[in-house]
Amino acid sequence: MNKPFKKIYFDPYIFFSLFLLSILGLFFLFSASNSDISIVLKQFVYVVAGFILMILVSQPDPDIFRRMSGLFLIFSLVLLGITYLFGPEINGAQRWVRIGPLSFQSSELLKLAVPIFLANFLFDKKLPIQRREILISLAIIFGCFFFVFRQPDLGTALIIACSGLLVLFLSGLSWGFIGGSLILFIISLPFIWNTLLQPFQRQRIATFFNPESDPFGASWNIIQSKVAIGSGGLLGKGFGEGSQTQLNFLPETETDFIFSVIGEEFGFLGVLLLLSIYLFLLLRCFYLALSARDRFCRLVIGGLSLTFAVNLIINLCMVVGLLPVVGMPLPFVSKGGSSLMSLFLAFGIIISMGTHKKFLPQ
Amino acid sequence: MIFEERQIEKNNFSSRATLLFSLIILGLMTVLIKVFSLQVSGYTDYQLAALKNKNYAVPVQSLRGEIFDRKGGVLVKNQPTFDLITRPNLIADIDSFLDEIEPVIFLSEAEKFRYKKLHKEKAFANKELVLKKDLSTEEIARFNVKSFNFQNTFIAKRFRRISDYPEIFSHVLGYTSRTDDDYKSMLEIPRSHWKDAELSYAHGLIKGRTGLEEVYDEYLSGKHGQRVYEMNANGQLVQPLSFVEPVKGSDLYTNLDIEAQKSAAKYIGNRKGAVVAIDLDSGGINVLYSSPAYSINKLSNGMSDIEFQDLVNDPDKPFFNRAIQGRYPPASTIKPAIGMYGLSKNIVNWSHKIKDPGFFIVPETGRVFRGWLKGGHGKVDMHKAFLVSSNTYFFSLAYQADILELSDHLFNLGFGQKVCLDCFDEDQVFVPTPEWKYSMMNTGWVKGDTVNLGIGQGYLATTPMQLANYTAILATKGQFFEPSLVIFGNQERSLKIWQDDGFDHSDWIKMHAALLGVIESDYGTARSIRHLKEFQVAGKSGTAELVSLDSKEAYLEVRTSELLRDHSIIIAFGPMPNPRYAVSVVIENGESGGAVAGPVAIEVLKSLINE
Repeated sequence: MNKPFKKIYFDPYIFFSLFLLSILGLFFLFSASNSDISIVLKQFVYVVAGFILMILVSQPDPDIFRRMSGLFLIFSLVLLGITYLFGPEINGAQRWVRIGPLSFQSSELLKLAVPIFLANFLFDKKLPIQRREILISLAIIFGCFFFVFRQPDLGTALIIACSGLLVLFLSGLSWGFIGGSLILFIISLPFIWNTLLQPFQRQRIATFFNPESDPFGASWNIIQSKVAIGSGGLLGKGFGEGSQTQLNFLPETETDFIFSVIGEEFGFLGVLLLLSIYLFLLLRCFYLALSARDRFCRLVIGGLSLTFAVNLIINLCMVVGLLPVVGMPLPFVSKGGSSLMSLFLAFGIIISMGTHKKFLPQ
Repeated sequence: MIFEERQIEKNNFSSRATLLFSLIILGLMTVLIKVFSLQVSGYTDYQLAALKNKNYAVPVQSLRGEIFDRKGGVLVKNQPTFDLITRPNLIADIDSFLDEIEPVIFLSEAEKFRYKKLHKEKAFANKELVLKKDLSTEEIARFNVKSFNFQNTFIAKRFRRISDYPEIFSHVLGYTSRTDDDYKSMLEIPRSHWKDAELSYAHGLIKGRTGLEEVYDEYLSGKHGQRVYEMNANGQLVQPLSFVEPVKGSDLYTNLDIEAQKSAAKYIGNRKGAVVAIDLDSGGINVLYSSPAYSINKLSNGMSDIEFQDLVNDPDKPFFNRAIQGRYPPASTIKPAIGMYGLSKNIVNWSHKIKDPGFFIVPETGRVFRGWLKGGHGKVDMHKAFLVSSNTYFFSLAYQADILELSDHLFNLGFGQKVCLDCFDEDQVFVPTPEWKYSMMNTGWVKGDTVNLGIGQGYLATTPMQLANYTAILATKGQFFEPSLVIFGNQERSLKIWQDDGFDHSDWIKMHAALLGVIESDYGTARSIRHLKEFQVAGKSGTAELVSLDSKEAYLEVRTSELLRDHSIIIAFGPMPNPRYAVSVVIENGESGGAVAGPVAIEVLKSLINE
């Protein structure tokens, strides 16, 4: 390398997948928003900014991220605190923080900060991981989970907890400990149900197990979503032709239920295409994780990409009726700047971790 | 970390990452399988569910068929009226809109109130709303001049159910009235959609309630069409998708005769009573009139509650169809039937004579039954008994009758039966029998009851319809058709035959001669009407007693109360010798049968014959 500073760290597979997803996402959003071009344009701006952000973020060496990980976590928590104290209340929840003209959902940053911090905390620890390290990790994870859960934002809180736990698992948590925790979790389920969950969250779970009990109330969303997807058939009703979407029978078409729009208008083939892109993207991440240069990079790539996958699968399972309704967008397709930015940020970090190699053999 | 440790760590990571990524792929596959089951296996169900969500079908009202008399005269028609309709979703400010349109269209406070009340709901759903019904020609003209000012408003043609003879045909035609939904006729449209039906009638969804309108409701009402709209989740109509045109109902051709019905109404005047006339060639009912009547036009197109209650509470009971529901003692008009019985059972023959002292004493009990003429009619045979209406003759005949045989005989002549094929709510009344009496009064049948039957008094009651049917049997010598209001083809008509081995053709000839004599001879009880016409008429009059009295003097006292006066009854057929029409007339409290009911019968026959 004559001019190492001129090298651009870039992964064509990830770039191409995200490009496809974003373009398709804008396309779907146009239909889902009843052809509201202003929504699409706004999202387009986010997409462009996201790509730029991703490319910028993928340039620094992973060591920089590693060293900054503590600061990053503190910064994220401070933002969250600001939200908690000063953020506007929207639909009974405080999730947003405003910086100048931009408003940002501060909990999105934690999705990145927690796994990176844990990867940094654990990458040099001996196997198997000691009890003290486990307890510190768990304290961080559940502390962050709890802050976000109190907003309340169960969906994001679960993802944050998930991102941390994934890193903990990948770093070599002992199976015995995992088994013990699972038993403890199952035992404490009644407590979680009775004291931690909000009444509307309990309601959602109850209707999930008995959707016909209240077809015009709580289970309306999921019934209409299934009708939308099911009526799409093999080939779909065509772009802008989905009656469930266009006549507003389907709720939240631009955000949580955009997958139902795709199912209705593009049918099984559309769904197949979309899932193939996601699968390709995940497989590429899997490859990068395995071939990353060190343990820190492996943990970060694995943690971030699996968190992304969990996010994706929860959304998909929710709209097809396999899981109770929980607010979670379809990554790269649903409307929303904050989640899109944090996704591009995450993939920027993944690319950085996956493409920087150490030249000095050890 | 030393190299081996790093290798162990790397392998550990690889296997755990492989496990997690495999789980993720499994998750994606599960989703894909679920989507497949929704979109491919469950496609039909979900597609239907999606259509059911968005398709909003409303019925389009069909027009009812019209009703005609036997000469093609229109009895009931659909008369266009004009309503002013608005599209509330295009009207931003109701008050200024109303201010603007008021100089053009007169609006009552109630109309404005109703409009304002419904405006918001209709505007939201993109539905139409009637502002004013039944515009006058001036209003239409004024609106047409200024219609460019009112882009959101238009005039629509709506119909009314109108008869040019609303009173005289009220009972037989019947009326229509509003129904909230007609969903039974179109099950594919949900009940709740009927409130948005596209109307053809100003009065809304209508249904026959009485008379021919009810009996032939299905035939007249045709088939509703439907318009399917695309509706969004908020219940707003987005756009029309498809339209199935309604099918107009079939027209109804009846045997009724406008001129004859007019005569019946004219000559009954404001008295209470009924007239039924039957065409002997077909059984067609030419006249079916009950007095007093009411206006079906008012009833069919919205009558105020007060007006309706006045009709219901009227002591003369205008809604009561006396022609098919009024129960009257047939009085002397039953005598031909009693005579037929006596002849067929060989109790009497035409030459059999009795002495009529003016009364009859039941031998067993000594109960006295009086004739109408004090001192009696002297020696009487059957012919004379008909002419002078000798009560004694028929008392003595009935005295010899077997009540079970006699009631059978009367039943076979149509008494105690529904005789009209398509009359609305006809009363079949009953033929009295010992069993009937026991069940009603818990006492046994006595001979005197049979004797009383001989002159059509006592327990026997009949409707004018049954009397007309019986007259048709007499007139056709037993070869009659089932009476019907609507014209049926030759095959659909049912010829009925009354016959009895003991009553042959020569008996019929003599019967006709006797009944002709009732009107046309110098001795007939109804001879007062013979000069009213140019053709010959046979018949039998009767005076139905409402109170059983022993003397004329006693009756003169009773008579002071009009409602206790005798009913005047006549049955008649003509022109003789080949009769074409049979008619029965009852005039309540009209007293003497021949003189009061007779002229009505003659005038009806005249208008039927001199068509």
